[in-house]
This record gives sequence, structure tokens and C-alpha cells, in this order.
Amino acid sequence: MNTTIEKTFEVTEPIEKVWQSLSDPTQIVTCVPGASLTEKIDEKNYKGEVETKFGPVKVKYDGHIEIVELDESSHKLVLKGKGLDSKGKGSADMEMTGILAQEDGKTTVNFVMNISIVGTLAQFGSRLIGDVSNQLMKQFIENFKAKLAGEEIDNSMSAGGMVGSIVKSKLGSIFGGKKEA
Amino acid sequence: MVAVVTGKDLEKYNLHWMPTLMSDTQMVLPTDTVMYQAQEVAAVIATDRYTARDGKEAVRVEYEPMTPVMDPYKSMEPGAPVLRPDKPGKTDNHIWHWEAGDRAKTEEVFKNADVVVKQHMHIPRIHVASIETCGCVAAYDKIENHLTMYMTTQAPHAIRTVIALVAGHVGLTEEKIRVISPDIGGGFGGKVPVYPGYVIAIAVSFLTGAPVKWIEDRSENLQADSFARDYHITAEMAGTKEGKILATRFKVLADHGYTDASANPSKFPTGLFSIGTGSYNYDTAFMEADAVYTNKPPGGVAYRCSFRVTEAVHAVERMTDLFAKQVGKDPAQLRMENFIKKDEFPWKSPTGGTYDSGDYHAGLEKAMKAIAYDEMRTEQIELRKQGKLMGIGISTFTEIVGAGPSKDFDILGIKMFDSAEIRVHPTGKAIARFGTKSQGQGHETTYAQIIAEELGIPAAHIQVEEGDTDTAPYGLGTYASRSTPTAGAAAAVAARKLRDKARKIAAYLLEVSEEDLEWEPGKFFVKGAPDKAKTIQEIVFAAYTNHPQGMEAGFEATHYYDPPNLTFPSGAYICIVDIDPETCEIKIRRFVAIDDCGNIINPMIVQGQVHGGLTQGLAPAMYEELIYDEAGNILNGTLMDYLVPTAVESPSWETGHTVTPSPHHPIGAKGVGESPTVGAPPAIVNAIVDAVSHLGIKHLEIPVTPYKLFKELKKVGYFK
Repeated sequence: MNTTIEKTFEVTEPIEKVWQSLSDPTQIVTCVPGASLTEKIDEKNYKGEVETKFGPVKVKYDGHIEIVELDESSHKLVLKGKGLDSKGKGSADMEMTGILAQEDGKTTVNFVMNISIVGTLAQFGSRLIGDVSNQLMKQFIENFKAKLAGEEIDNSMSAGGMVGSIVKSKLGSIFGGKKEA
Repeated sequence: MVAVVTGKDLEKYNLHWMPTLMSDTQMVLPTDTVMYQAQEVAAVIATDRYTARDGKEAVRVEYEPMTPVMDPYKSMEPGAPVLRPDKPGKTDNHIWHWEAGDRAKTEEVFKNADVVVKQHMHIPRIHVASIETCGCVAAYDKIENHLTMYMTTQAPHAIRTVIALVAGHVGLTEEKIRVISPDIGGGFGGKVPVYPGYVIAIAVSFLTGAPVKWIEDRSENLQADSFARDYHITAEMAGTKEGKILATRFKVLADHGYTDASANPSKFPTGLFSIGTGSYNYDTAFMEADAVYTNKPPGGVAYRCSFRVTEAVHAVERMTDLFAKQVGKDPAQLRMENFIKKDEFPWKSPTGGTYDSGDYHAGLEKAMKAIAYDEMRTEQIELRKQGKLMGIGISTFTEIVGAGPSKDFDILGIKMFDSAEIRVHPTGKAIARFGTKSQGQGHETTYAQIIAEELGIPAAHIQVEEGDTDTAPYGLGTYASRSTPTAGAAAAVAARKLRDKARKIAAYLLEVSEEDLEWEPGKFFVKGAPDKAKTIQEIVFAAYTNHPQGMEAGFEATHYYDPPNLTFPSGAYICIVDIDPETCEIKIRRFVAIDDCGNIINPMIVQGQVHGGLTQGLAPAMYEELIYDEAGNILNGTLMDYLVPTAVESPSWETGHTVTPSPHHPIGAKGVGESPTVGAPPAIVNAIVDAVSHLGIKHLEIPVTPYKLFKELKKVGYFK
């Protein structure tokens, strides 16, 4: 079950400030809904976990996060995450690329997330996995923006809320509401 | 909680692997490698269902991900991971190669033919999804050293033998095993194999001395039970430009999952796929098949079809339509011109079978008349002018059922005869027992009718019993439409043995010679003196109270029927579809099914079978497919996503029949349970393709969903 999501957005902060947040795993990972870092192995490798619930299926991925690329000159970050559910319900792989660009004192942020899921979650949610990932991305970006603004963020994920908001956005698109980009 | 069982536990008793019905091997529980998603890895035994579920949640499994092989073509490529390193010397994923017909002659005909049509098609992996899942209660009695196995099996006797072969080494020999198969909620082929759950239940009951129940939940049933089909077929048909079929050539790649757990007769790895030359008169064909392992569940069982006949019929009926289109002939007319004529039977097919009888022209004529074929073609022209999409599809198939003659047919070495035992009690009432096992086919009615017809005892006085290996005579069970051709024949022959005995007793009672007696159902009377008669009830009573000296007392007979040939039912189906030109919704407007199953024992039961079978033909044509992604995930592992058609999706089936008796069957019957499942899919798909053929579409893969049709119509520029 593969899905790729790409989002580009603009923030008013200068690029150096944005890069500081982006390049620091302790900051960027905690913007991922349901994720936390548990151990730093070395400069490039971390241990962490992601807990998420989808309908009746709860998965907790024990993961390994690796910084594949961290290029300050081009403001590019590539992260790889690998997670295995602690109860054998499957695994998830994620590759995230973040690139920053500067324009008139503003910063354009481009994120590409490649998610591949194997196991119960994949078969259970095959029809909604795209929507779930989109929702995760949206929440992630909101958290990231909040972090830049120096606000406290709550990155715990409420499953009911998530499924609920997907249902809402689905219904919205069926009944002529604005389709989410 | 009572116990948690893993593969390592079973390994101690050498029970971690078991044989499949195709003499391959299958894991009961894995010891190191899991072969597919949803494979069972441990068994939790508890005193109630809830505790067992909680126990299951507590099991921790650490998987180390491997790269799965999901595509059978990639599985054949050099360098593909070898999926079964447990097999000594195995260096690839190839299981077997099979062929039939004449390769060289076929190549020659294809080289010189005016017209050749070629089409690749996939007959997708589907699941019988019977409403009752598989399950059992294994009850081992330590004091008696006796196992009673209550289970939902279509083949209780064969299962008893398999259990004895697998568990004989721990002292569970065949006389100590009783298999009882009570009323079953649907089988369709999925309840023929042995599943790991059975073995685990037996093992745990054997160790604890307590009865152990195993029952699948819906998702386990759908994801881990034997699948059906999954044939990738490259089909070709050659003919003249005038529309005469000259030859066919089929090349099959069979995706068997991680083990070949089909339930075919031993010598027939592709089952009866050789029926794929169809109902048409030509003498050249070549078919070959290769089977491969992939990381999917094992199987290859029937889905209400006689051993891979559906795959074969789909290929030949699609190709016949493609050929008709290519030579510019109406598909009905082309079929009429190519049919084997009724006086050409018995007919030897170029791939080895001998068709017993048939009247294909009569069937198609009847179907065309019922649906008003010519008017429909005229209407189609009109509708196309209005921009509407309507199609007419035909399937004129030949089935092959009633396995089978002992010279060729066996399962794990056991010949595919079947049996009947009739005991008539002193008061003229009877019990009849069989080696088959009804799953709703109505054996209780039809078998009683056969005996009633042969013996003159009212059907209501005959108790039919099946499914208990301690009481019923040995038989191979019910699948592949074999019950009437085999056990039904056995009932007729056993009843005739009793009638012969009745004649002797009647002659003794009436003090005449046997030759002077005449039979009419229910009594023997003296020729020319109809009042001098003895009813069957009087004769049976005498068999217990006043039998001739020197004759064995009692009134019982058993027969093990070994069919001389298979039977070849046929059908002519015509389907009309209307397609919404905007949403691509496909509606079956009418479906006419004319079946020829030889002599009909009970018209109502036949009709019921045909209705059910047609619905299970509609299923793969438009709804059902087990879908896996490249990573090995099953993407529709619940009935929420795996679409089983219900009464809502089913059209109002219009059925009828022609009768061409089987010349070699004692009562001329051929079997019918699966004909409609075999014949319906190509009729439906041919109709859908016909509806859009003028837009440039030649072929559609099943299941034809509105979305699939939309995408194809977009490709040809119908949608911008």
C-alpha cells in the first residue's frame, strides 16, 4: 500500500529560522501526529515511536529514523523512517523530503511524503489510506507552523477526530464542498 | 486460557507440516518463515471465545520483513527469491508443467490460417465466501483412544483417511476416527481441503483430552482459506475468413500461492481444463500450463465449478466472440455453424475427452427464441443511434462433471467412485446412506426419488443419510457436480440389485418362474394376469418373514459406482445489458439460461441450483476479486470490500432446459450444480463488450466494474 503526498506552503519567517526547525529532528519529528523520539543513537539515527489508531485498529510502530540528507546550502532534508508494529500487525516505511526556498523575505516550504504500509492497517484501511495520509500531512503542517510561531503544540492524535474529519471532508466533496488540495 | 500453540510446539510431534490434496506440503503453523499476509502463526486455546480473543491480542510476533513475490510472471524470472527452500534441491518457483493436445499440428494450422485472434486474460483469484465459515469440534476420548471430529467438510470419508495418514504415528489409526459432517452452510469447493485449524484442534484435543472447537471468523475465512481460480491465460483461436473455427491454443500461468493446495484429481494438475476446446467441431488444439509459487494463500479449489472448467470455458467463449467479431459474423450464427452436431456424439475432443451426448443447436435455438434474439439486435441498432449502450452476450458452453472413472481419477490415490447403501426395513420403509455429502443440494430429496423410481417405494418412506463415516459407505464426497453422476448412479444400481432380489421373492410367493413376472413401479405381477401380484412392501416383508430357503434373508444392497465416463452437461445462455452512458453502471436487463443436464430428477431442485449458480457466475463477472498489492497486502480482506452479490444485484433469472440424456449413466442424468457458474461469466462479459464494441473496445477483464469500464471508455476517447 503506497501513497505519496506533496504539499507546498508559504510562511512569513525567514529561511534560516525555518531551516533551524526543519533540520532538528527533535523539533521536526514531534510535529508528526502521534510521534515521539525515544532515543538518540548518533547524529543521524534516532529511535522513536508512532502511535496511531484507525477505526478499531490500533497500531504502535517502534521506529528507526535516519537522516539521509541534511544539506544546509540547498536547504534540503531527507528523512527515512521505518516502523514495526509491536504486536505484529505490520510495518510502515516513510520517506520525507523537505526543501526550503526563499522569496521576498518569505519562505516556501515543500514537503513530499512517501508512505508505504504493510499489514493489518493497510488491508483494513485501503480505501481511506490516502485520506488518512492527507489528514496526517495537514496536521503535521499545522504543527510545524505553530512550532515556528513559538506556540505549544499537541501532537497526540485523536482517532475519532481523524476519522470524523475524513468523513466530513469526503461528504464535503460529494455534496459540492471545496475539495481539499 | 488453556494453551498457546506455535509451530515449534507442533514440530515436536512432526505436525508442523501437512500434505495437501495435490501431494504438496503446507504449514500447519510456521516455525520460522511466514508465507503470506494473514497466515496463522499461533493458536490460542481458551475456555471461551472472548478469552481466546484476548489471548490472541496478547500474542507478540516480531516479523522481519522480506521481499514478497506477488506477480506470478516475476516469480518465474531467473533470480526471483526461491519461496520454498524447504524443498530439497528447489532452485526456482515452478511447481509443474502440463499439456494436452498436439503442439506441432496446432502450430501448423495457426501458421496457415486466414484469421488468428489472440487475447490475454486473467481469471482473478476469488473466494467461495460461504456464509458459514470452516470449523470443527475435535473430541478425543483418552479412555477409548477415539477421536470424533464434527466438521463442515464436503468429503468426510476422505478427511478421515487424511487424518489417519497424518496422525497415525501418534496412535490415531483410521478405525479410531469418526468424522461427522452435519448440515453445512455452503461449501462450493472451499470445504474440501484440510486446513491448519483442523489439525491444531485435533492435536490439542489429543493432548488435553478435552473437546476443542475451531471456527474461523469472516476475515480469516476470506484471507486464509483456499482461494479459487487465479489463471493468467493467453488464448488464441484460428479459423477461416468464412468463420469456421480450425484450432485453439491456450497458454496458462497458474498462481498457486505458496503451495499447491488444489483439490484436483491426482493426474490432473489443471483439473479438467482440457474441456476448453468448447462446444465446437474442430480437431486441432494445444494447451499448456505452468504453475508457480507466490506469497499468497494456498489453494486452487473449485468455486462451484468442476476443476478449472470455468477458466477454460471463459477463455473459449471469449475467443469465440472475438473470432466472430474479426470475421464479421453474428456470434449466434457463428456458434450455430461451428457446433458439434447431435449425431456426431460420442465426440472425441482434440485434447482428450469423449463427450457423451449433446444437442447444442436445440439449446441455442431455444435461448434465442426466449430472448427474441433478432428483435434485440434490431433494438440495439436503434439504441446506438440514440447514443445508448446496450449489449447482447452469448455463452454456449460444455461442462465436464461426474469425476470420475477409476482408471484415471483419484484423490491421493483413492479412486473417485461413490457409493450407496439401501436398507429396506420389514415394513417397507427404507434408510439409504451415501458417500457424498449434501451442502444444500437436496440429496435428501433427489436420492429418495431415484430409489422410489427404481423400487416403487414412496420417496417419503426413504430416509436419506450422509456425512457420518461410521455409518455411511465410503465415498469421495460432494463437489464438482459429481453427486448425481456417481452416488445417484450408485443409488439406481443398488435399487436395481434389490429389484432383482424382489423378483426372486415374488416368483417364490406367487409360485411362478421369474421370467413370467412383469414389473411396474411398486409391484411384480404375472404376465397376462395383473391381479396375481405382490407389492414391493409384501415382498420386503417376506424377505424377513418368509424368504425362500437358500436365499439370504433381509433386503439390503450396497453399490460402489465406478462411472465409465464423465458426463457432459451443456447450456446456452444469453444476457442483455444496458449501460448508463454517463456513470457506466451496468444493468442486466434479461438473462436467459437454457441448461441441458440430461434427465432431470427434480425440476424444482434443478431450478434452485441454476438460480444459485447463476448468481455465483454473476459474482466473478462483475464483483468479486481478491486484490493484493505489490507489498503483499490483501486490499479487500473483509466482506465490506470483497463484494458478494446479493438478491439486490441479481437480475430475475429466466431458466429453461433441453434434455439430452447421458447414454452411459444408469438414469441418463448428468449433474447441474455448477453449469450456471461456469456458463454465466462469459455471457455477461460478452454482453458488456458487445455494448461498447462499436466504440473500439474488444475485451474487458473480469470483474467488469463500472470504474474499470469507465477507464477503458476513457482510453478509447469516449470520455474526454
